[in-house]
Amino acid sequence: MSLTVNPGSGKGARLLLGLSPLLVPYLVLFCGGVALTVCQSLGIATPLPHPGGLWDAYAGLISDPAFFASFGFSLWVAGASASLSVATGAFLAYRVWKLPRQLAPLSLVYKIPLILPHIAVAFLVLIFWSRSGIVASAAHSLGLIQGMHEFPNILYSGWGMGMILAYTLKGTPFAMLLALALLARFDVRQIQTAAMLGASGPRIFFAIVLPRLAPALHTGFIILFLYSFGAFDIPYILSESRPGMLSIHVYNLYFKHDLARRPEAMAILTLMFCFAVVFIVAYSRAVARLENGGRKL
Amino acid sequence: MIPLLQRPLMLLTGLAFSLVLCLAAATPCLSADHTPDNAPATLPFADVAERARGTQVRWYMYGGWAHVNDWVDTYVAGEMKKRYNINLVRVPMDAGVFVNKLLNEKAAGKAVGNIDLLWINGENFKNAREAGLLFGPFADRLPNVEKFVDPASVSHDFGYPVDGYEAPYGRAQFVFEYDTAQAGTPPADLAALKAWIMENPGRFTYPQPPDFTGSAFIRQVLYAVTGGHDQYMAGWDPDLFAEKSPLLWKWLNDIEPYLWQKGRTYPKDSAFLDTLFSRGEVAFGMSYHPSHAQNKIIEGSYPDTARTFVLRDGSIFNTHFTAIPFNAPNKAGAMVLADFLISADAQLSKYQPDNWGDFPALDLERLPEKERERFRAVDLGPATLGSDVLGPLAVPEIPSAYLEALEQGWKAHVLDR
Amino acid sequence: MKHGSTLALLVLLFLVPAVILVLVSLAPAWRFPQVWPDAFSMKGAAFFMRHQGQILGALGASFGFSLLTVAATLAMCLVPAAVFARNHFPGKPLLEGLLLAPALVPPMTFAMGLHFLFIKASLADTLAGVVLILAMFSYPYMFRALVAGFQTMGDEYRICARNLGAGPLAVLFRVELPLLVPAMIAGGSVVFLVAFSEYFLVFLIGGGSVPSFTGTLFPLLSSSNRSLAAILTLIFLFLPVFLFLVLDLSLMRSYRKKGMI
Repeated sequence: MSLTVNPGSGKGARLLLGLSPLLVPYLVLFCGGVALTVCQSLGIATPLPHPGGLWDAYAGLISDPAFFASFGFSLWVAGASASLSVATGAFLAYRVWKLPRQLAPLSLVYKIPLILPHIAVAFLVLIFWSRSGIVASAAHSLGLIQGMHEFPNILYSGWGMGMILAYTLKGTPFAMLLALALLARFDVRQIQTAAMLGASGPRIFFAIVLPRLAPALHTGFIILFLYSFGAFDIPYILSESRPGMLSIHVYNLYFKHDLARRPEAMAILTLMFCFAVVFIVAYSRAVARLENGGRKL
Repeated sequence: MIPLLQRPLMLLTGLAFSLVLCLAAATPCLSADHTPDNAPATLPFADVAERARGTQVRWYMYGGWAHVNDWVDTYVAGEMKKRYNINLVRVPMDAGVFVNKLLNEKAAGKAVGNIDLLWINGENFKNAREAGLLFGPFADRLPNVEKFVDPASVSHDFGYPVDGYEAPYGRAQFVFEYDTAQAGTPPADLAALKAWIMENPGRFTYPQPPDFTGSAFIRQVLYAVTGGHDQYMAGWDPDLFAEKSPLLWKWLNDIEPYLWQKGRTYPKDSAFLDTLFSRGEVAFGMSYHPSHAQNKIIEGSYPDTARTFVLRDGSIFNTHFTAIPFNAPNKAGAMVLADFLISADAQLSKYQPDNWGDFPALDLERLPEKERERFRAVDLGPATLGSDVLGPLAVPEIPSAYLEALEQGWKAHVLDR
Repeated sequence: MKHGSTLALLVLLFLVPAVILVLVSLAPAWRFPQVWPDAFSMKGAAFFMRHQGQILGALGASFGFSLLTVAATLAMCLVPAAVFARNHFPGKPLLEGLLLAPALVPPMTFAMGLHFLFIKASLADTLAGVVLILAMFSYPYMFRALVAGFQTMGDEYRICARNLGAGPLAVLFRVELPLLVPAMIAGGSVVFLVAFSEYFLVFLIGGGSVPSFTGTLFPLLSSSNRSLAAILTLIFLFLPVFLFLVLDLSLMRSYRKKGMI
């Protein structure tokens, strides 16, 4: 039994058979799960019998400005953190790649946030950036501020800075990983040639290196954006009350309120899912058009 | 001959596949449903205790207090093992979450679950009762309840009849906390608190409802600004609520700009408020447990100068309970545990501030003189107010139908405004 | 030294937080405005020692279900990855995109829908349920790694071995799988890390019955008992590092020596 499917008769059937260890769980658990979410949002198959109409939950959401505020806020946090991560990751990856061989092992410290779970990174952000945190203490000892309250309000300013910082701290090494993988195959002679022809450092980075890194960076952006958009762990520790992240709102609806509000929670999840799909397709198409069809994912 | 490298590899792949097969095979065993055992409802307690011997009891309770977890894991688990050979497993889970879990299980038709005993009260108890999630009545047949508990004190939980579906566990009363080294004298009543907040912007906040403590705080304010608690005791009255709640929203909105973070965000739970208070970011903490501050001092998180105070307008008290889910796998064991928790020994141990400091739910007058002396002799520590201070100011909790209305109202009128 | 700034930046961003964690774990009373803790105490460590049975039990459970998740994803992806790498059929890019979706869309969207089904199927609150849900959203990483591994491997080795007379099983075990080990380890590391760090899904499906290390750490993070939280976070940091070191020094070294990486 080798792991190849022989061409010829019954190829379709053998393909399906070969793919089945993955396709069966995929269909049952993933597609089934999504289907159940959609059904429960419509009031079908809910724990408690649903008294209202099919689209009640959606109607309620559309007419609720707090929902759109949360949605927009989630988009903002996701976009800002993903962009920051990818930009910082690309820059740092380039610098790390240029390190001489002896210093290269030291650069492995960048993997630390990769290993830490998201909740731990949120904890770090709390320790450092809260008003009673370490950066505030450092500012105080440098004489920059006289008391806790002069320290700028980073974590709870209404802009989700705490979450953005945490997602960026976790996402930058990830982007670095993707970029370094590409840089490993990069021909350094291109850079040497450009330098010989008089190009400056930044010019080299933006004109030569960055375009080559683009596929990895786009992949990274999609992954990081969607993760920050829908994840639960970091917002649960750092989220602000108003507007809150969508995932926390869903959590509260699912666990802390009447079961009768289940369709509402499921409706939000369905909308999040649709958004994720639309985003992937639209982003991939836009990038492919710009780069003539290189494979992104 | 297989090269050295491939041998661990074959082992690896073989292991992977067999693990998956084992999982698939084990699942039916893990999920074997037994018929629910409701016999303990009618058996005499001695038989129930006999049945419970040598079994495992899973107790789901709020896990945010390390010292309480410690007390349960060491003293309670130790005594259960010693006295009844029962293996106690404590599982941390918020009350709202496990009620939701039971609701899901009931709707899914799961006849045997994995929770034996719950730590529950108030709104969660009412929701659980109305959805038929609890086993009972059982509390009246526990020996310690029969002997030492005043039935009038446990007949209602947040205005909802108990009917023996939950057994008393402890007593709590709402207190505020402050640091004597930072703030001078604390405000004496709610009006003084409001004035203080407005003079000291950014130094006060409360946990976001529906957090338990935050919700209690707004109930305190409701009593104080709408003329007391008596008017609400008759039961849910939507007209009364519609008439009185705007006063509450006005008070909370008036102070909002002067709160921590200008009221743009609230601590997501009481543990977070504790951290803010302990680090000096806010001047006052609050807790539904009078001994909370002392516990935190002992733990090292609060400064030694922390103390508690109550407002002259009154401080809400309640009793908290234990209950048994409808699909508990070990109802006999749960009943034995519930009975032990209300025993004089356990209540005394719980009352020690080094362990927890939670006030006893027993009626001290019904205890033998010697036991009463032991309770009176407990030194609650400098930060905890004694029942001589707390008793006169204690006001009962509001009927729980008001709770959801208050929490929804807070979101609509204060948070989302 | 022109590399100094790079190194300084790396250290500041990534290493300093870890050092601060060590300090926090030793100084529970470290608060504003101390830049360096005034008082060190072993209270956090003492708390840890008192509860080490429970904490280490949770650690072991997390470790166990993460390994099981790696095994499950391996079982799910091995043959399909081979099929994908070696065949072309209409709709392949679309199918590949669809198969990678569970790692992209928020896991909440399908896990919460599944939860009710899991309760009915008695999979909720069980280890099997937790492993299943973790495998469902982490398998794309294993899948991609294996597809890349098969593509790198190519067909030549297999054909060569067949030509030399090896039977199909021997080809599988002695030629293909050994060549795949680097890819399996790459994919497995990511799956392990993802499963080990996951809080919400384990909490949702495990329902308190399946202990996890993240579940033990989580309530401590917003509490005021910061030194214990710091200690547990450090354990979180060191365990995978230790594992990867072990893997790197044993298996990967032998592969590097053979020039297979």
